Amino acid sequence: MKPFSYVVPKSLDEAKAAAAQPNTLIKGAGLDIVDRMKERLQTPATIVNLLPLKDELKGITVEADGGIRIGALTTLTEIENHEALQGAQFEGLVGAARTTGTPQVRNRGTIAGNILQFTRCWYVRSEAFHCLHGGRGPTCLAMTGQNRYHAVMGWSDCVRVHPSNLAPPLLTLDAEYTTVIGKETRRRKFAELFPEEPRAENPEHTLDDGEIVTAIHIPQQSKNARCTYAESREKQSFDWATTACAIRIVMAGGKITEASMVLGAVAPVPMPRPQAAAMLIGKEPSTKLFRRVAEKAFQGAAPLAHNAFKLPIGKAVVRDALEQATR
Amino acid sequence: MSHPPDHGVSRRSFLKGSAVAGIATTGITAATKAAAGPPVPESFGPGEHEITLSVNGAKKRVKVETRTTLLDALRDRMDMTGAKKICDRGACGGCTVLVDGMPTNSCLTLAMDAVGTELRTIEGLSNGDNAHPLVKNFVTCDALQCGFCTPGMVMSSLACLEKRGKPTPEQMRQDLSGNLCRCGTYGRVMEAIDKTANGGGK
Ligand SMILES: Cc1cc2nc3c(=O)[nH]c(=O)nc-3n(C[C@H](O)[C@H](O)[C@H](O)COP(=O)(O)OP(=O)(O)OC[C@H]3O[C@@H](n4cnc5c(N)ncnc54)[C@H](O)[C@@H]3O)c2cc1C
Ligand code: FES
Ligand code: FES
Repeated sequence: MKPFSYVVPKSLDEAKAAAAQPNTLIKGAGLDIVDRMKERLQTPATIVNLLPLKDELKGITVEADGGIRIGALTTLTEIENHEALQGAQFEGLVGAARTTGTPQVRNRGTIAGNILQFTRCWYVRSEAFHCLHGGRGPTCLAMTGQNRYHAVMGWSDCVRVHPSNLAPPLLTLDAEYTTVIGKETRRRKFAELFPEEPRAENPEHTLDDGEIVTAIHIPQQSKNARCTYAESREKQSFDWATTACAIRIVMAGGKITEASMVLGAVAPVPMPRPQAAAMLIGKEPSTKLFRRVAEKAFQGAAPLAHNAFKLPIGKAVVRDALEQATR
Repeated sequence: MSHPPDHGVSRRSFLKGSAVAGIATTGITAATKAAAGPPVPESFGPGEHEITLSVNGAKKRVKVETRTTLLDALRDRMDMTGAKKICDRGACGGCTVLVDGMPTNSCLTLAMDAVGTELRTIEGLSNGDNAHPLVKNFVTCDALQCGFCTPGMVMSSLACLEKRGKPTPEQMRQDLSGNLCRCGTYGRVMEAIDKTANGGGK
């Protein structure tokens, strides 16, 4: 790692002021950025450590309107275990947290750091390669190179995938996020956190430099709502997903009345699949229906040279999430 | 989910072909203050400065840089070489120590972030020949072979016991799922945990 200054703010105001300085990085637990700094892919002059701001930024609370607020510094382990998230409505979020990395990663990794983490593309995360997304080379090296873990849809000039487990379920739950920057406080829909047409030059998210995420908000869920998450991966632990799917459905009288679906690990951003979800509305759950919905979810997907396996496995993962949600 | 056929390249073989960055050890400079307008928060580094870490119940002063990881602070600056540096990227668990009771990858944690926390390391589990029952049970159950993963494995096992009392095999598997062992000692490690939970090794 290159040397840097380390700022310890005593308040969110101090953190904002420090984060506004040039060449400054905001740090949660640092699992993602320490890794990238070791590889000298990130060489900030200053790091603003948010961890001391526990009171303002940590913890899970049920709000007056029945919604749930998750502070940005809340760890994945806390999300796994919190009683406010034990219902079927949040099963997908808790499941996504539980299948992330290892106990050690979940004990420290924060929700904000998870959804804002940098892609795992092995070219852009290696000091040895110079690629377009890293801003160090002219092309996406994975597009024509080793792309087993890369995108099958939604890409233009860079085939990285978005690695976050938690982003897909949060999107299906219609979550919002609050940020602060300068004198402004912004609260927006989760979908706005990710670039609409992700290109190589886009970061993984749409935050401005120095913008600090303070909380994630999940609106109150109806009693018969259910959110589930399924993923494929090559190892039972330690590993990021090769494909993932989060689903939220509401059932009434044996029929599905509301549905949303978001795929993970298949595109440079978490991929909402509204057309596939719409096929579920007004229908009774069935294996046959789920097969058709899974086909639709991957309609238009085009594998690269080494990742065709993602299509059949991804469809199975969609069916798995649907089966869980309607069981 | 079943393992899809490999297309001729694994993560390991891919990475072998690419350079692995080391950690710079030069460039110690004087401490500076951040140039932010008011309010001005406390700022450290980039040079060396002294911090206090609470390790195994004792307060220790140690000089670190802001970029020093907790693992390097323990191993290189405090002469506590129990925690092992294996992958240095959060991908093996060899460097596991407990931070406020929670298993943590000390290789991805900045030493500065550990200020104000209670740290526990493998060194805290023995006092001369008088070892913690869990450590004794690792020996009697033959729960180590080369021993390289063992300090991390013991710390995750300890956290598992403290959290669960009498963990089930499934809970043990869950709690050990962040520690890799090349020698395949997992079964024996679970025996050692079980024996400790049942009062063995006292
Ligand atoms: C071995 C291993 C396995 C893993 N497996 C998985 C997996 O299966 N699935 C998965 O989803 N993830 C996985 N991860 C990633 C892990 O979940 C994230 O690295 C972690 O959650 C990041 O959180 P952090 O607090 O350490 O983030 P940091 O490293 O501190 O920050 C990450 C990014 O977010 C920014 N940031 C952090 N907090 C804020 C904030 N409040 N406001 C604005 N910006 C902020 C930082 O500037 C940085 O760009 C794995 C990691 C490891 C090491
Ligand atoms: S050395 Fe820290 S996890 Fe491998
Ligand atoms: S005992 Fe050799 S790696 Fe675990």
